[in-house]
Formats: sequence, C-alpha cells, structure tokens
Amino acid sequence: MIDVIVIGAGPAGLSGAIECARYGLKVTVLDEFIKPGGRLLGQLHQETSGNWWNGIKESEELHSKATSLSVDVQCGVSVHNIEKVDGHWYVHTNKGTQLTSFVLIATGAAEFPIPVPGWTLPGVMSIGAAQVMTNVHRVKVGKKGIIIGANILAFAILTELQLAGIHVDRVLLPEKSPFSQKAAIPQEVLKSLLHSAHLAPSRLLRFGSKFMNNEKLRRLGIRHYPKKGFKLNGTPFQLRKAALEIVGVNDVEGVLVADTDEEGNTIPGSEKFYEADFVCIAGGLYPLAELAAVAGCPFQFIPELGGHVPVHSEKMETPLEGLFVAGNITGIESAKIAMAQGTTAGISIANSSQKCSANIDKELQKAVHNVHNVRRGSLIHFNPDIESGRKMLKDIWSSQYEIKSSKLNNLKKGS
Amino acid sequence: MFEKMIICRCEEVTYGQLLLTVKRHQCTARELKLRTRAGMGFCGGRTCRVSLDRMIESVIPNTPLCEIPLKYQPPVRPVSFGTVGEAK
Amino acid sequence: MTRIQSHPVLGNTSERLRVPFYFDENLYEGYESETIAAALLANGVRMLRVHEESGTPRGLYCNIGHCMECRVTVNGESSVRACLTTIENNMKIYSGQQLPNPVKRMVEQE
Repeated sequence: MIDVIVIGAGPAGLSGAIECARYGLKVTVLDEFIKPGGRLLGQLHQETSGNWWNGIKESEELHSKATSLSVDVQCGVSVHNIEKVDGHWYVHTNKGTQLTSFVLIATGAAEFPIPVPGWTLPGVMSIGAAQVMTNVHRVKVGKKGIIIGANILAFAILTELQLAGIHVDRVLLPEKSPFSQKAAIPQEVLKSLLHSAHLAPSRLLRFGSKFMNNEKLRRLGIRHYPKKGFKLNGTPFQLRKAALEIVGVNDVEGVLVADTDEEGNTIPGSEKFYEADFVCIAGGLYPLAELAAVAGCPFQFIPELGGHVPVHSEKMETPLEGLFVAGNITGIESAKIAMAQGTTAGISIANSSQKCSANIDKELQKAVHNVHNVRRGSLIHFNPDIESGRKMLKDIWSSQYEIKSSKLNNLKKGS
Repeated sequence: MFEKMIICRCEEVTYGQLLLTVKRHQCTARELKLRTRAGMGFCGGRTCRVSLDRMIESVIPNTPLCEIPLKYQPPVRPVSFGTVGEAK
Repeated sequence: MTRIQSHPVLGNTSERLRVPFYFDENLYEGYESETIAAALLANGVRMLRVHEESGTPRGLYCNIGHCMECRVTVNGESSVRACLTTIENNMKIYSGQQLPNPVKRMVEQE
C-alpha cells in the first residue's frame, strides 16, 4: 500500500513528497495537468539579485529530485473525491481509486473571476491562462490585448507577456459592481499596489510609493492621475478607466471603456471603444480547497489569506487524522513559501507515521521556523496583512483544535 | 448593462435573474443555487462561487462568512457514470 | 507567427515532432505533447465549442482545468478538457453543438 498520496504536483506538493520519501515513505503524487509544477510552471521574474526566477526550471528540479527518491509522479490524473473508511483514506480519481494512510492536499489556488458583460466570448481568458499559454505552451494568445484588473498578479504576468513579445495595449479596471468590489475603486487599487511598489516596473510608481502612503496625497494623486495612464514598460496603466463591456460576435473584437471618477463611478458620455483580439481578466487568487471540504475538514473565512481556508496547524496538520495541507490552499502566498510549507508537511507526515522511528521533532520545529523566515524575507506579498491572517488561524488552532490532536497523539503513543 | 451580464457561465445565469431571485426570496446561497441553477453546471461552481457569495452579501448584509456559504459536493470534477461506479 | 519560438529568458523552443489531428473534420497540425487548446490556438482556432443551450461561442478560459469551458469531444469521449489533454496522431476532436432542452422550456412556461 502507498503511505502517502499527495494531491497537486506544484511547489508545495512536490516539496512535501520529497520530504516524505526522504524518511522512507512510499509516495504517489497526482496532478491533472500535463506536467508537474502547478502554477510555478508559468512564473518568470527577475529577483532583486538580478537572477531570474524561472518556474519551468524550478519545477524540473523539484520533479527530478522527487523521482530520484522513487516518488511516483502521475500527471493527467484528476481527483474527484476523498473519504476515510476504516482508518484509511480512499482517493477517488478518473483513473480509479487508491488507498493510503496519509493524504497531503496541495491543490493550490484558483482565480477570482470578475464577471464583465461579454466575458464568455472566445479570446477572453483569466490572466493565469495567458501566463500558461505564453510561458508553458509558447503560443501567442493574440496580437493585441487588454488586461482588466490591476493587482500584483496582473502586473507580474503583464511583464511576462511583454517579455515574450505579446502586445498588451492597456491595463484598466473593471466597472464598479457587487462583484468587482475594491478592484474597481482607484483609491483601493492604488493602496494595494503600493504595498509592493518597490517591485513596480515603473520608476514613477516606485517614486509614488514614497508620498502616496499619505491618504491626502494619495487622493490628490488619483484626482490628477493622467487619463492616458502611466506607462509600465510601454503599456499604459489606466487607473481612471473602467471596462464596461467586451464586444465581439464570434470572438473578442474590443472593449468598451469609460472614464471614472476617484471612486470608480463611470462618467457618462466618456465611453470609448478600444480594439483588441484578446482580453485577460485579473481578479486575483483564492485557495482551491474543495477536496478538503469534501473530506470533511472544518474551514475558516480569513480574507487576509484569500478567503475560506481549511483549518490547519503550523505543522500543516488538519483536525482530520492523516490529512495534511500545504501551499496556496492554506492562504495565497509565493511559491517559495509553498515549498517551505510542503517540506514542513512532509516532515509532519513522517513524524506521524509509525514507519518512521527516528525522533524528528527538532527537524519539524526547524521547518516550521523556516516558513516564517521565508515569509519575512519575501518581497512580494499578495496580501500585506498575511502575517495577521496566519496568526489568526494559529490562535484558532491552539484554542479549538490543538488539545484534541495532542490527546490523540498521546493515545497513539501509549498503545 | 449588468442586467444581462452572465455570472454563471456554465448555466448562463445572468445578474438580472440572480438579483430578482435574491430580492424576491431573500435566499441563502444554497437556495439561490437551487432556484437559478447558478453554480450547478459543469464546473461545479468553481468559477462563479465567489461571485454568488458576494452577490448575497451585497443584497443581504451580514451574511455569516465563517462557514462555507456554498457547500462542496463530491465529485469535485465531472466524472462519467462508469468512473463513479468503479469507485464504489 | 502564432508561436513564441524565441524568448529572451526561456530560450528557443526545441525541435518537436509534428502531429496531425482533426477538429470538426478539418485537418490541423500541432506538436507532440502539446495540449489540444494550445495546438488549436496556434492554428488560429479560438472557438472550441458552443454553449449547449444558447449556442453562444466559447473558448478556453482558465487553461488549467478548473472552469470546464474548453470541453470538447475526443475520439468519441465527451466533456474532455482541451487544456489538459495532449493531441495524438489523427485524433478526432469535435466542438459539440447546441442541444434542445425541453425540460427547461417546460419549467420556464410554468
């Protein structure tokens, strides 16, 4: 029998699998994409050191490390249900059911959609879709595109599209609606972007961050934000324009756009049509936790972490015995943190397994510590309040769940 | 323009239809789903789930958020009847 | 040119085997181990199916298997995600068509 089934071959899943295998456990990794790497595959950016973070290379390294430790990585396998029967986990997939003692769910994140009239037309895609098409499949998504939604993910991928020679005509905001919420309010958009302004490709944005942290100045900045927008590496970022409708018959032909006031309300009579043959919708990411939900894991709604997350400890355990989580399913953060969490989960699983006799409590503590260090050292935060979100969950765990699980462990050790 | 905007892409449920249903029945997310079929299509609500939650929030404020508003049901990926049969 | 053959950081794409396949009876060519969605887009095909009920055109949306928008029929198997399935020699892919939904019409009339 397999000791551990890891669901998701992204940075968290592969790191977890590697760690489990190191401690002698038999591990299978399942992923529905055509190759391992998850969202890491599409990532490509220059770090402050000047080195390129190349997601394809990073994924290949993790994959070869895993296979060298005899981890069985299976691609093209979709898991549709997991359940516990008589102390074992049953993992149901499109290729049949597998039995295991431990499950690590590392399914990552899905994209927030921002509905826009006309968004079902072919040629409209999520920003992540454009990233994968460009960097992984190396196929051009179109000749001229418009990005709707301005957040860190959108700008990171804008840079990647530019690097591949794809022409992005402009970045603008969605129209104000119950769905777009803060993403349609210039003030809010700028505030969230400025938290990572030191990463901004434009000097202007970088300069802006110095005085824009002051509320009054920020308002002034938005009021006088140029209609044409500031250019980011050639692409105008139009904070004061909103997409009203994506227009086309059989596929995208362009976007109907209006000017907005400082609050994001559209100004009647300012409508203009911009031609484009592709449109990317950038709504950000949320934890993809459906498998933890069907397994019966309790959840908490923590906006700082990106939405509903399965309750878990810093050791990546869930309240369900034998079920662990790691990576973006626990909160939206970078691939490096996902890796550190995966490693922690792997050691945690080994620690709970009777197959592993060595005392690895120290290793586990070190791994938990490392997650904190990586977080502190990381430049990019999808949510500036990530630390407080993590703290909230930690407190929930220690006040409501920890006692129960430590009792369980003592019981096991006694038997 | 929002009236005809599709929220649930799988079942082509529009904002207008959803708004009417939420207002008329003051529904929970589950009820809204069952009445309109929004979120019950092929993708299992993966694309519109967040939108439906936000919509209820905007019409009926203070909807409790600690629980998952829309329950997940297995299978979380579409499977053929053959596959489900095998799993049992 | 629809493919990104050279890239300043990722480098040039390597030589790959060409693979013929059919989409709605038309012959196309893609590369080995490429997804249906990528191969079709490289051939300029964006519309992958029509909505079963309204008949509106649809293409890929999320490209990683979450949204099911790109589902096509492959060698007789329906609801196959074009973004997760690689093309094979002479594979027969169909976009699907608008289907009548008498039950829904009945419900609407009530």
